[in-house]
Parts: sequence; C-alpha cells; structure tokens
Amino acid sequence: MISFLVLLGIVVCFSAILALALNFQWGLGGMVNFGLAGFYTLGTYSCALLILKGGANTPVATLGAMAIVAAACAATALVTLRVTEEDYFAIVTLGVGEMLRLVALNEDWLTKGALGLSGIPRPLGDVIPADVYVYFLLGLSVALLLGTLWVLNVLARSPFGRIVRALREDDVVAATLGKNVLWARVRVFAIGGAFIGLAGSMHAFYYQYIDPTQFTNIVIAYAFMAVIAGGRGAHAGAIWGAAAVMVLLEGSRFLKDVIPALDSDRLAAIRIIIIGVGLILLLIYRPQGFMREYRLQVELK
Amino acid sequence: MLQTAFNGLVSGVIMTLPALAVTLLFGVLKFPNFAVGAMMTVAAYMVFALNGQLGWPLAAATATVAVAFGGVCIAIDQLTFKPLRGRGGITLMVASLGLGFILENLARFAYGNTARSFAIELARPFRFLDVRMNREQMITIAISALAMTLMWLLLTRTPVGRAMRAVADNPQLALVRGIESERIIRWTWFIAGVLLAVGGVLIGMDRALEPPMGSNYVVGVFAAAILGGLGSALGAFAGAMIIGVVSELSTLIMPPNYRIGIPLAAIALILVFRPQGLFGQPYIRK
Repeated sequence: MISFLVLLGIVVCFSAILALALNFQWGLGGMVNFGLAGFYTLGTYSCALLILKGGANTPVATLGAMAIVAAACAATALVTLRVTEEDYFAIVTLGVGEMLRLVALNEDWLTKGALGLSGIPRPLGDVIPADVYVYFLLGLSVALLLGTLWVLNVLARSPFGRIVRALREDDVVAATLGKNVLWARVRVFAIGGAFIGLAGSMHAFYYQYIDPTQFTNIVIAYAFMAVIAGGRGAHAGAIWGAAAVMVLLEGSRFLKDVIPALDSDRLAAIRIIIIGVGLILLLIYRPQGFMREYRLQVELK
Repeated sequence: MLQTAFNGLVSGVIMTLPALAVTLLFGVLKFPNFAVGAMMTVAAYMVFALNGQLGWPLAAATATVAVAFGGVCIAIDQLTFKPLRGRGGITLMVASLGLGFILENLARFAYGNTARSFAIELARPFRFLDVRMNREQMITIAISALAMTLMWLLLTRTPVGRAMRAVADNPQLALVRGIESERIIRWTWFIAGVLLAVGGVLIGMDRALEPPMGSNYVVGVFAAAILGGLGSALGAFAGAMIIGVVSELSTLIMPPNYRIGIPLAAIALILVFRPQGLFGQPYIRK
C-alpha cells in the first residue's frame, strides 16, 4: 500500500506539472491547447531519444526536451498572427497535437513506432539502490513540482504576467496600449510548452518504457479537468485539481475488483466517460473552480 | 493520377455533410463543436445496431437513425449546451470536447475497439474512363448531392432556413423580428444531427466502424469549414472538396500516414493569409 501511495504521488506530481503548464497557457494566457497530448508526446520522446540516441545525460535531456517542446509551441502560436480568436487556435492546436502523435507512431526508424522505446535510464539510477529509488524519485518530483510552481508564480506576478492576463481579457485593449500581442502570445505558449516538456521527461523517467498508446486523449481530458476544477488561473488550484483527478483515475482501477465483468478496454472507456461527465458538470455548476486566481491585494482602510 | 483524384473527390464528398453541420452549428451557436466527430461515431454504431445486428437494410436503418439522431442531438444540447448558453466560446468548446470523450467512449464501451463493418452485399466495381468506381462511392456521391440540394432548398426556400440564417447573422435583431432563437437552435441541432448521422454512415461505408472513426475526421472537417469560411454553406461544400482532393493527391508525393498535415497546413495558411475563408464574410473585429 505504501509503495502504491508513493507511485501515486509521483504520478500526481508530473500530472500537476502538466496541469500547471496548461493553466499557464490557457488559464492565464487564454490560449486553449487541445494539442496537449501531442506536445506531451513530443516532450517524452525528445527526452527518451536524447538519452538513448543522443547519448545525453538525464538533466541535459530534460532541458533539451523542454527546449524542443517550447520551440514547437512557439511555432504553433505564430498562427495567431492575424486571427486571435480562441476557436481557430484551438483547432490548430488539435491538428498539431494529432500530427505529433502520428510522427511518434509512424517514424519507426526514430521512435520504433508502436513497439515503443524501452530501457530509458533514470536520473542517478545507477547510484541510488533500486529498493529506495522510488522515494528518491518522489522527492525529485515534488522538488520539480515546487520549482515549477515557484517559477510560474513569479512569472504570473511579473509585468509579463500582467500583459498576459490583459491579453486574455481583451487583446485589442492590450494592443492599443502598445503591447506586442503576438510576441507575448508566443512567449506564454512557449513557456507553458517548456513545462509540458518537463512533465513529459518525468513521464519517461517514471515509466522507463514509452509507446504511443500512453498518450491518448485522456491526457487532455484530465489536464483540462484539473485546471477547471482548480479554478482557471489559480496555480495552487491546478495542483489540487490534478491530485484529485489522478486519485480518482488511479482509484478507478479498483473498479475492476468490484465488477469483474469489466475488461481493460471498457474500464478505460468508463474512466474517460467519468472525466467527461465531470468536466461538463463542473462547467455548468462550478465554472469558477474551487480556488481563486492570484490577485494583487489592496489594503482597504 | 485520375484514379487518385477521383478517390480524393469521394473523400471530399464524404466530408461535405459533417462540414456543413459544423458550419451550421457554428453559425447559430458561435462556437466550434469538437464533439461532431464522436457524434458521427455514435450515429454510425446506432445504424450498425439496426443493420448489422438486427438485419435491417442499410438504407432503412440510416433513415431511421438519422431522424432519431436529430432528436438525440436536441436532447444533448438541452442537457449540456443549454445551461452554458452565453458563457463564451472557450467554455462551450471545452464542454464539447468533454462531450466528444463521453460519446466516443460510450461507443467503445458498447462495441469495443474491434473494427466492424456494415452488412452490405459486395458488388463489382465498374470502370469509366479508366477510373475504377465502386458502388459505395457512387452511393456516397449520390447521397451527398441529394443532401446538399435539400440543405440549399431548406436554407433559402423555407421559413426555418431563413430564420436560421437570421439568427446566425444577428440573434438580437432576429429576436426583435419575433424569431425565437431557442426554437431555431433546436432546429439547427436536428438538421445537424441528420447530417452527422448520414455522414457517419458514409464514413463507416468508406472505411470501417471503430470508435475513433469520427474523431479522425474532425481536423479535416474543420479545415473544410474554415477554408470555405465558417458559417458559409457553399463554402463548406467547396472547402470539403478541395481538402479531400488535395489530401488524396498529396499521398502521391508524401507518406499517406501524414494526410492530416494537408488540412492542418490549409488552416494555418488560411488563418494567416485570408482569415475569412474563400466564401466567408470579410473579417471584422470589434
């Protein structure tokens, strides 16, 4: 049971980083990212390939994956050059995400296609004894999560964060005030992308084996659920949201013991249905989520 | 080359109905509905239940399901989108994404991941100018042409169609003229449901029935609708044909796995160079 909780803790950590990244792009910047699963795939595969084929060590590979996803996100954000409506951008991200997943599935020479990549080494994996390694990985995950939270908090409260929120509320006003809307959008999407790359790297380290089936739409579903439940724009909320969603998801594995008739396909289907219903119910009954976005507090006398 | 172009024409024709549904829904409801793919999947499986399992002829099954699915779409709208009306595009978009997950996985829950196909008797393909056409392709073209004509008549010649265009254009003004927008929204969903159900069957005939069958078309269908100009029915038709033919021709020079790249590139180009699409109204911001 303890080891199950430790493993759950690690999963919650990298899901929370993913949720924070989406929260930064969408909650704070108003740039909806329906290609999340694809960018996450890109991050995971970049990290794994940099180690396995590029011969990089784990920290370098992680930084490399962050840079690669950030660059991909920046390029995607460029399509908002003329049309800034969320609708169109959402469709573009959906397509880009789909494309990235297809690359992982089809470029056998690079990604081994449906076979997946195995034997991904872990940070300090050869130094730390195997029996206590999960505790180290949990500690590392928590540290990276807190680091992500700190960086994103600082960014959200910086002048840049204010421009980004202004864009979300009304980009025409921001442009009228002389802010460079396109450049700010590219940056906010790229920064979010870097953290998607970080979450993807941790995914690679945790599972040590990756294949395209791990990156289905459920990634998008739970990340959106986490951000909405936590309250759009609220960083801490995204973490709690991710924790709640992952506990729910991992907990639903035990459904199999209760109802033995369920095979794994059906169980997977039920989990996504639950997430989908939860998503819609939240949007209808509690669209503001359970936590509030950071606001500058003004002392009133 | 000619054969590929013809195949592209057929895959374009398959996309016309969902593209039309997307553009109608966007025109009246003002948000892109990402659940259209999963809706086609569910409708196709409903037809499969009647045709493949109960042995109905495909045509009768499709007609029954099309009408029923129009009703299903109205019910879905009342349950999910009505409480969210006026909440802003992003909320509705995310809700439609969630709805798509639910519908696709209901189909997966009921029928599993195995590919299935409709019960239709095989027929020998016939040749015309060295182009091989099979019977399903001819049926697809005929049905789409019929549906497009009916849609055009509906939009231009009937009071409901006029009211739909009025609501799409300016809901407040339509309300002032005594057009009740909720009633028009129900009509729009019904028509979209019929179009999606027939579209789902056409996809199922062309490929196979499997849970992601509809979602695979979402990017292409949206590309078609955007290329033609979101909200323009004629544009949706033209956009679908262009995307279909170009995607199919692209397989001559690039690996077919990446066919989705064509609609994606089309969206990116159109957004940067001609945001209103080919037939859309010029793009005005507040």
